[in-house]
Amino acid sequence: MAGKMAFRVRNCWRSAVSVLLSVSLAAAPAAAQRPPAQLAPEVRRALDEALQKSYNDLFEEAPRLEFSRTQIEAMREILENRQTSCASEFRRRAEAHARDLRREQDSLRAATTRIDDAERKQRHCRIQNLRALESQARVLAEHAIPVAYENRKAKLELIEKWPEELKRIREDIAAGRHLQRKWGDVKDIGFRELVPDQEKDIKIGQETVREMKMAGLMPPEVDNPEVKRYVTQLAQRIGKHSDLRVPLNVTVLNSKEINAFALPGGFLFIQRGLLEAAENEAQLAGVIAHEIAHVTGRHGHRLMKRATVSSIIYQAAQVAALILTGGAATIGTYYALQYGFYGLGLVLSLDMLGVSREMELEADQLGVQYAWNAGFDPNGFIHFFDKMATREGYVNGLSWFRTHPPFYARMVQSKREILFLPPKDGLTVNSTEFDAMKRELKKVTEQAEQEEKDRPSLLAPVQGCPAPEKIEFKPGDPIEKLCPEPAESSSGRR
Amino acid sequence: MSGTRRIFLRQALTALPLLSAARAQSLGQRSVYFTVEDGDRLITGLGESQFRVFEDGQPVPFRLLEPEKPVLLTVLAEYSQASGLYLNDIVTAARALMDAAPEGNWYSLATFSQELQIVKDFTRMKGEILASFDEIGQPFWGEVNTYDAVFEILEKLEFLPGRKVIVLIGSGLNTLSRQTMADVQRKAEAAALNIFVMGAGTLLRGLYDSYLDAASRMNLLQAEAFLNMLAKKTGGQAFFPRFEVAYRDIARTIFTMLDSQYRLQYESRVKPDNRFHRLRVEARDPRDSQKQYTVRVREGWRWY
Repeated sequence: MAGKMAFRVRNCWRSAVSVLLSVSLAAAPAAAQRPPAQLAPEVRRALDEALQKSYNDLFEEAPRLEFSRTQIEAMREILENRQTSCASEFRRRAEAHARDLRREQDSLRAATTRIDDAERKQRHCRIQNLRALESQARVLAEHAIPVAYENRKAKLELIEKWPEELKRIREDIAAGRHLQRKWGDVKDIGFRELVPDQEKDIKIGQETVREMKMAGLMPPEVDNPEVKRYVTQLAQRIGKHSDLRVPLNVTVLNSKEINAFALPGGFLFIQRGLLEAAENEAQLAGVIAHEIAHVTGRHGHRLMKRATVSSIIYQAAQVAALILTGGAATIGTYYALQYGFYGLGLVLSLDMLGVSREMELEADQLGVQYAWNAGFDPNGFIHFFDKMATREGYVNGLSWFRTHPPFYARMVQSKREILFLPPKDGLTVNSTEFDAMKRELKKVTEQAEQEEKDRPSLLAPVQGCPAPEKIEFKPGDPIEKLCPEPAESSSGRR
Repeated sequence: MSGTRRIFLRQALTALPLLSAARAQSLGQRSVYFTVEDGDRLITGLGESQFRVFEDGQPVPFRLLEPEKPVLLTVLAEYSQASGLYLNDIVTAARALMDAAPEGNWYSLATFSQELQIVKDFTRMKGEILASFDEIGQPFWGEVNTYDAVFEILEKLEFLPGRKVIVLIGSGLNTLSRQTMADVQRKAEAAALNIFVMGAGTLLRGLYDSYLDAASRMNLLQAEAFLNMLAKKTGGQAFFPRFEVAYRDIARTIFTMLDSQYRLQYESRVKPDNRFHRLRVEARDPRDSQKQYTVRVREGWRWY
């Protein structure tokens, strides 16, 4: 009986496997043979042009653009195909450089006892050049190209969905429904209670700061009183017009990362890179307001509770730091090592990330409100966001966005909130103080750059070699510079 | 011989010593870091008059200088599938080292399995070293090409100015390196730096020693000998802890030794002949001239 049962189970298993195999085999050629999506050249050109624009421009123009759903779908498919082929091309180049490199190294090893110093130097230079080329090709294939195309796809989504969204927003405003939204009571900022007991986070924040300093993860502070004073005053002004109930403790860190982060209890860290990247006071105020919103929303505290639910025996404040800080990955992984939790990254990404997204969106909404309430143009936040996102190929130093929800969702949510806010005159976009801070910051940056130049490096080039070849692609360059658009036939137009 | 040829030959002959003199001049000044020990005790505060320096047995004039700051410390860690059984040792050692590391120095991290990987270039934020260590994920390759890795890191550090230290965390085992042990030894003999070793897998070795065959035991002995050689040739020290907790003490010891190092500088008289030249430093107790301290200093130099 048991034997028969086993036989039946085996047979069932075999049938299931064979069905799965036949389905997948049948599907594979179909997918491979699917004709590439095609668009009439003028439509493709128009879409390509639109996708080069900034998010802000698209918010204005999208309602006037007339593309059908089929055309948008076709364009999405074209972007997918371009991304795949562009990344494959650079992966192939990286492999080719790696092969050449291996060959060169083998040849050097074979000849190492016979060649003179000059010949050795030449070979070292060739190896160095191949290493640089391989590494550049890999970075482009794995980072710059996906970032650039994800950006285009997000803009396509905006073209597709924003007109409808805008209609809904206008209807909501006309019907007064926008006042019923969560945290819609913007006229009561400072007198409403988002989450009680903000004060209880101060101790946790202090401990986290101390731990971070001890761990050697905190960049040095900016040693310029003018810059520190300006940033502190700006943050205090926003703090005063927010729901903050704890004193704000502002630190300006001397790091080129475009980043800011807040720890529970009102500990705000602004990095030099952010000050450099902000073009005006409204942009900087927008980012600072977003970080203050993390404190007022007690997001750190809520993450700690989540951590307990997830049964992670882990320092709660550090979990908060991990999620809510831009440079969090490094801090988190350090603690993972410190406490011996090697699987922590996975636990966090599965258990915490959903919570983190909600919190980011909430911080966006509250941040926009705080900047507006403090008298700054709330569009500054999305202008800054836009500037960063539109810098296609800009793959370094964007940690502020690393742990955050997709661009499209954040841009639309922030724009919606701005449209819901009551109109206000005389909102500040820039100030002479901001410009004065920028001048002071220039000195700090110059000094930091000099120190960076003098920094020892294991990756430093061999002395006396010609500069390694560079694949020409700078932040802000269109991705077509790397992968020119292939000539597509005009048959099957949509 | 024609007149032109004679002139050319004379010019060439005149130029040769000039060239080698220029090279000797650039290579001639040697900076050596060393510690003075009396048993387990590190002796600091000795003056120039308490030292004597000998090169190839001949006394050489020297100067004691302030140690250069900051130190450029590279952590070179074995990280391979083959190290799986003692990977915990490696991680513990790295963590202990970075916990004990003082602020102000430059730290970098390189790992190796099939090949050397610069995981973190020099940074002043020591926390980034451990953070980067975790980010590399599970080891992919099964090779442990220790000889290639040491050779390559020595080459990379060769061009950097200042006071350089390597802390090698690994077993010393080697699988398919292109460099031989002799190649690495020659490279270490020429390198102006100290190598300290935090041995990994010693505890495991102790536990399974009785089950090992002769060949395996020989491999392990050779691995240990290799690590000892690196430390000895460069004036560092190799540690092979038998307990995991010992890594913390070792890390502290390494930094105390670095803190207690003397720096001497002398003009070498030997020529760059690609041969090894012995160096000896003697240190005497200022209160008892008969008493000689132990000096932990590199064994000598090889000049390329």
